[in-house]
Amino acid sequence: MLPFILRRILTFIPVLVLLAFLTFILSYYGPGDPLRVMMGENWADEAAYQQLRHSYGLDRPLLVQFIDYCRDMLRGDFGRSYIQRVEVSELLWKAIPVSAQLALMAIIIVAVVGIGLGIISALFRNQWPDIAIGTVGVLLHSIPPFVLAPIVLVALVLKLGIISTPSGWHGFFSYQTVIAASCLAAYPLLAIIRQTRAGVGDVLSQDYVRTARAKGVSEYGVIMRHVLRNAMAPVATSLGLTFGALLGGAIFIESAFNIPGMGTLFFTGLRNTDYPLLTGATMVSGFWIMFSSILVDVIYGILDPRVRTGK
Amino acid sequence: MSSATPLEQAASASLANRERNVQSKRGPWRDAMRRLVKNRMAMVGLGMIVLFGIAAIFGEMLAPYDPIRQDLMAAKQTPNAEHWLGTDELGRDMFSRILTGARTALLVATFVTFIAAGIGTVIGLISAYGGGFIDTAMMRLADLLLAFPAFLLAAFINATLRSPVANQMQRLADFTGLDFLAGKLFIDFFLIFGSLAIISWSGYARLIRGQVLSLREQEFVEAARSMGASTRTILFKHILPNSFAPIVVAVSVNFGNAILAESALSYLGVGIQPPTPSWGQMINQNLSQWRYFPHLVLGPGAALALLILAFNFFGDGVADALNPRRTSRN
Repeated sequence: MLPFILRRILTFIPVLVLLAFLTFILSYYGPGDPLRVMMGENWADEAAYQQLRHSYGLDRPLLVQFIDYCRDMLRGDFGRSYIQRVEVSELLWKAIPVSAQLALMAIIIVAVVGIGLGIISALFRNQWPDIAIGTVGVLLHSIPPFVLAPIVLVALVLKLGIISTPSGWHGFFSYQTVIAASCLAAYPLLAIIRQTRAGVGDVLSQDYVRTARAKGVSEYGVIMRHVLRNAMAPVATSLGLTFGALLGGAIFIESAFNIPGMGTLFFTGLRNTDYPLLTGATMVSGFWIMFSSILVDVIYGILDPRVRTGK
Repeated sequence: MSSATPLEQAASASLANRERNVQSKRGPWRDAMRRLVKNRMAMVGLGMIVLFGIAAIFGEMLAPYDPIRQDLMAAKQTPNAEHWLGTDELGRDMFSRILTGARTALLVATFVTFIAAGIGTVIGLISAYGGGFIDTAMMRLADLLLAFPAFLLAAFINATLRSPVANQMQRLADFTGLDFLAGKLFIDFFLIFGSLAIISWSGYARLIRGQVLSLREQEFVEAARSMGASTRTILFKHILPNSFAPIVVAVSVNFGNAILAESALSYLGVGIQPPTPSWGQMINQNLSQWRYFPHLVLGPGAALALLILAFNFFGDGVADALNPRRTSRN
């Protein structure tokens, strides 16, 4: 198993280097000059500007800066935020656990609800529960996260008065987290429902399912022991990839719910054109996707031993 | 209805016969079209798309007010008889803004989808037919893109490249005398088309490459080759027409994604710049006041969600119609 994981990590190195180069080159040739912004009223003071440029190391050749940048990144150093004037890594280290927990909660919701509804859909193929579930899934898939979040807020805060305006991080098991994670889970739910439905539908028509039924296994036993186990491999893959993609939706959900995670960091970085923060957040999301993709392969390897051999 | 004379019955029977004869002109595309028309959800989606299309084309004429004219005397109104969906904090009529925002959304969706499909098709064809090193290089690139935080990268590109692109465009406009090239709107669109096409061509490329590789081994292509058909003839007369269905499916499914991506970029402030109305940007402008003026967020949000929903319904319908074995609904 270990060589298999190592091999997967190796294939990701070019991706990360390319990502690092792209973010670096984009912020190098980027617009405006954040240093001038940073200097505020004294923006025209050329000597101070050059000194600041030197202190941030922006006056060295491009390639030298890039190699330096990669080396710093390997040490977990992403430079200092132009606007917030603290180490980006410090901001990232605070934000990553928050986003990871939020994403974990979201993926649990996607898995439980998606697989559950997918099974119901498959069992009632083309009957009304199936059609209703499919329609609701498409509906949730169609509402952008930055529309869904205010709708949920308006409904829960203004109309029903169940919660007050959420702010901050209240831990994994708080209702704020569950609500935000549900919003995050709405978009990817459809894919999991459809995949489960298709997978379960395929397996239900297999001979061994008929055999199981013929020998008197209860319907629950058939679904749990025979159908699900065989239908889950592609769903597990999707879930892992969904986990990797959740950071994209987190930009909108976290900023709407005032959750201090990676999404909020990226959002503020974008607003302030704070390049060190932006590159840091983008690189972390690259690592995040790599991590979840490798996790998928490992899970797949466990579920289907043929994958492990690499053939 | 119940008492039809024998003559009438005969007439309607012969009419039905004639219809059946007409129907007997069958083909995979005709069959697909028939399945699509029968799909109620897809037709509802198509109807909504047509409505939004009308808003996109004639929105400026239909709008009761100028969508970018500010009227501070009429600011922050809740929906009423004069302003159907209220006004924002600058007194701009929300209904007019939403109506004209349809143009931005549909324009971006159309261009992004077709640019990405075009690039993807060309790269997929080159990859499959070039083989060897070209194939490996292209597919590696596509793999890289799949492992990328794509949307973040698009946002990053839009945030950083705006002023360099604007400079180049200004130079180009001076050189060619075409002033529109340096226009702010053109640069917005150029950046969005470019960044979204860059992150979304790889899916099409893989699709086409797979299609070509499997079709190339089929008997009818072998027959064409044995008759001395050139590579170009085989490619354009035999392989492309036969791989058209999956492209159509991918295009129709991706329309909604493109709309979502544009509005998301505009929401983050790196897409379409004010004052050009864009739903994402409108949502963001009014989001800080969701407590006091929820309708300012919900109006453009509803328009956006409805259009994406329409494309999703329609796209699913097209996919089901072109591939009856697809599992979304059968």
